[in-house]
Amino acid sequence: MSLSDDTATRVDDGPVRKRRSLRSRRPAVLGAILAVIAVAAVVLVVSAGGGDERPAGRAAGGGPVAGGTLTYALAGTQVSLDPAVAATAVTGLIDRNVFDSLVAQTGPDTFGPWLATKWTVSGDGKTYTFTLREGVTFHDGTPFTAEAVKASLDHVVDPATKSAYAASLIAPYEKSRVVSDHVVEVTLKRPFTPFLQALSVPYLGIQSPAALAKPVADYRPVGTGPFSYVSWEKDKRVTLRKNAGYASPPAGASHQGAAYLDTLVFEFVPEDATRWGALTSGQVQAIAGVPPVNAGKLRSLSGFTLNSQETPGLNYNLYLNQTRGPLRDVRVRRALSAAVNVEELVRNIYFGHFPVARNPLSRTTAAYDPTAESELASYDPDEARRLLDEAGWTKTDADGYRVKDGKTLTLVWPYWAEGNKEQRDVLAEGIQAQAKLVGIKIERPAVDTGAFVGKYLVGGGYDLVDVSFARPTPDVLRFAFASGNTYAKAGGNVALVDSPQIDTWVEQAAETSDPATAATDYAAVQHEVLRQAYVLPLYTPVQLTAFSAKVRGVAFDAQTYPVFHGAWLEA
Amino acid sequence: MAPLALRLTRRLALTLFVLWGAATLAFAGMRLVPGDPARIIAGGVQANATPEVLDAIRDQYGLREPVGVQYVLFLGRLLRADLGGSYQLGRPVSSVIGEQLGPTLSLAAGAAVLGFCLAVALALLTAGRPRVRAISRVLEFCSISTPNFWIGILLLAAFSFRLRWFPVLGDEGAAALVLPCAALALPIAGVLAQVTREGLERALDQPFALTARSRGATENRIRARHALRHAALPVLTLSGWVLGELLAGTVVVETVFARQGLGHVVVAAVRGRDFPVVTGVVVLSALTFSLINIGLDLLYGLVDPRVREAAA
Repeated sequence: MSLSDDTATRVDDGPVRKRRSLRSRRPAVLGAILAVIAVAAVVLVVSAGGGDERPAGRAAGGGPVAGGTLTYALAGTQVSLDPAVAATAVTGLIDRNVFDSLVAQTGPDTFGPWLATKWTVSGDGKTYTFTLREGVTFHDGTPFTAEAVKASLDHVVDPATKSAYAASLIAPYEKSRVVSDHVVEVTLKRPFTPFLQALSVPYLGIQSPAALAKPVADYRPVGTGPFSYVSWEKDKRVTLRKNAGYASPPAGASHQGAAYLDTLVFEFVPEDATRWGALTSGQVQAIAGVPPVNAGKLRSLSGFTLNSQETPGLNYNLYLNQTRGPLRDVRVRRALSAAVNVEELVRNIYFGHFPVARNPLSRTTAAYDPTAESELASYDPDEARRLLDEAGWTKTDADGYRVKDGKTLTLVWPYWAEGNKEQRDVLAEGIQAQAKLVGIKIERPAVDTGAFVGKYLVGGGYDLVDVSFARPTPDVLRFAFASGNTYAKAGGNVALVDSPQIDTWVEQAAETSDPATAATDYAAVQHEVLRQAYVLPLYTPVQLTAFSAKVRGVAFDAQTYPVFHGAWLEA
Repeated sequence: MAPLALRLTRRLALTLFVLWGAATLAFAGMRLVPGDPARIIAGGVQANATPEVLDAIRDQYGLREPVGVQYVLFLGRLLRADLGGSYQLGRPVSSVIGEQLGPTLSLAAGAAVLGFCLAVALALLTAGRPRVRAISRVLEFCSISTPNFWIGILLLAAFSFRLRWFPVLGDEGAAALVLPCAALALPIAGVLAQVTREGLERALDQPFALTARSRGATENRIRARHALRHAALPVLTLSGWVLGELLAGTVVVETVFARQGLGHVVVAAVRGRDFPVVTGVVVLSALTFSLINIGLDLLYGLVDPRVREAAA
């Protein structure tokens, strides 16, 4: 057949003379052995090619070592690297390393200099004048000036940018004026104290005006940050390189000067089990989104460290639509709240890794008021039943659900599977089961994104909606409870709260320059929304990040994003 | 040659019809799903797009036009082979697809080759040999009934996380392709092996096999040179099914192995109502399907002279 010394051909001719039966089994056995050998050979060849790729060891010592590549695996995908466009958390996390902000958030409500060395606010709270750091250049060589600040902010609010998030952070923005090369004046339409916090997030990072001038299809993120953009392989990875000339870290940074790492790679690994295996087998040095069930196990493995960061802002809360059906009655809302043993559910599902919430705000947020939880209708099934009786839901049907005027006490809680994470569907099943015990029926129709937004969030056809929202400022209370901030108007008021009193508090808190007034207002809101049971707090989301023990010096900023500027790899 | 040319022309005309049908279905599907496309294009549920931004999106993509007008415009662009620009990525669809086609093709092609080879090898070795056949069938049923997802996780756990033979990340080089190809190929190989073996066994029972044996041909020669050809026809017919399996499987396998590829692109595009990208992928799949079927048609003739003669 052929002249090559291929073993398979020789076998073919081998057993001719010794044939005993028409269908000998020997060729099969021989073939099987050959197949095994062939597979083993291929495996050996291939695996020899993909040998150990770890960087060569350096002298062991205490201090930071420069060089090396850190690979960070995370879930989630993104559509744009432009922080002004994208709303995804992944984009913020990556862009944080590329872009510096004007100011840095140094505590729950304190801010320090970053690209702006100092700033003044006018008496009416509407004009901010920033003095900028000198001698800073963008990765593309463009010098950092007042023009860049103006271009970045104008870019965010331009409707053509189609900003999904950044523009909503600085809604009162009117215009920027270049006073001199290094002084810029920003004017707002109304006083707005959360403005500095907004400026500190990566979504409002300062971009190179030269890069912004290019067409959208050619967009590349160009900032002044410690790492510069190299490449983005869609749905695969983003690669960043050290900015060797970096000298503009934020106030309070432990490390000055250029980053230690040569290369920083973000790998998108959507599957939890794959991410986990990639870390434990040493193929990546860090992973985001460690499943709580694995977090405990990680503690017992040597060679890894676990970091947990409670996210500031709004907890993972259940919002009660107070404009529709039985939930118009505050007694029914409080009955639902009292029917659910949140503490037991959260503890059992998350193995103690997620703190139980008793306030819509997480405890790491400024103006968090621990006394507000006294207003919460805590777990008390007897009280829940009493409230339902009082509200007129006195009869029960065959399934044990409460009935009034021939109608069963039914609440609609749409289940949007795409948005499900952290086993929130399991928690919801627990809530459903406990509500049933006091006679409240919760329905969970499964819906796709289009229906979820159109029919439910905008159309208002729901009784319950669950959501969390991380942002380190108490102004999230305005986002979640001001009557003008319904979902249709780009807000987060999904309980459809319409209270002039709450509106006054949150508007005043956003406009006042007196921190004490703001604190009183925010505390009043927390008391009121719990008293009215517009919201049932569930848990505080925690960012669980795992690192190989070789990774040192990773810090976390106020938004709980990892900061790789001072990170280094132990040899 | 004339009848062949005629047949080819008819097949190509049918292909155009199929493309039109697929594109129209994609158009209808993307318009029929509930929800405001502008809002979803703006970034979905987490996005806090302002009404001005939503208006800008509606203007830019002509979402205010009646559906009929949108459909005509859409067909017009398609006729000019203009797939348009992606709503979400702000880039031409052709470049989005072109960029992701490579990884998906190498994965699908690798899996197809591996699947066919495994199936043929298994069938050749086990046909008409009851004991090995029984073992092989158990393995085949296992691989058919296990989802790609789970096979992928098991392969990763064994060969990447524990033995560290293959990397889980990175699509550089052949090493990163081995496990994903295997995960995709195993269920296909299971089905094809059963079909091939059945064909082989039927062929081996036929008089021509006996004739060949009486001439002194070795068992392996009879199997590989005579019977396999008879068994090949049903396998060829199944190739269309294999292509469908590969397309569906790549979505899952790309997720488990964190690979780039069209699977990811199309899932993200459907979620984000990125209509031009969805259309592009649908049209491309329909085209591939049609072309492969035409190719198979021609192959039938090559494999089986009787088909050739009947057509002539």
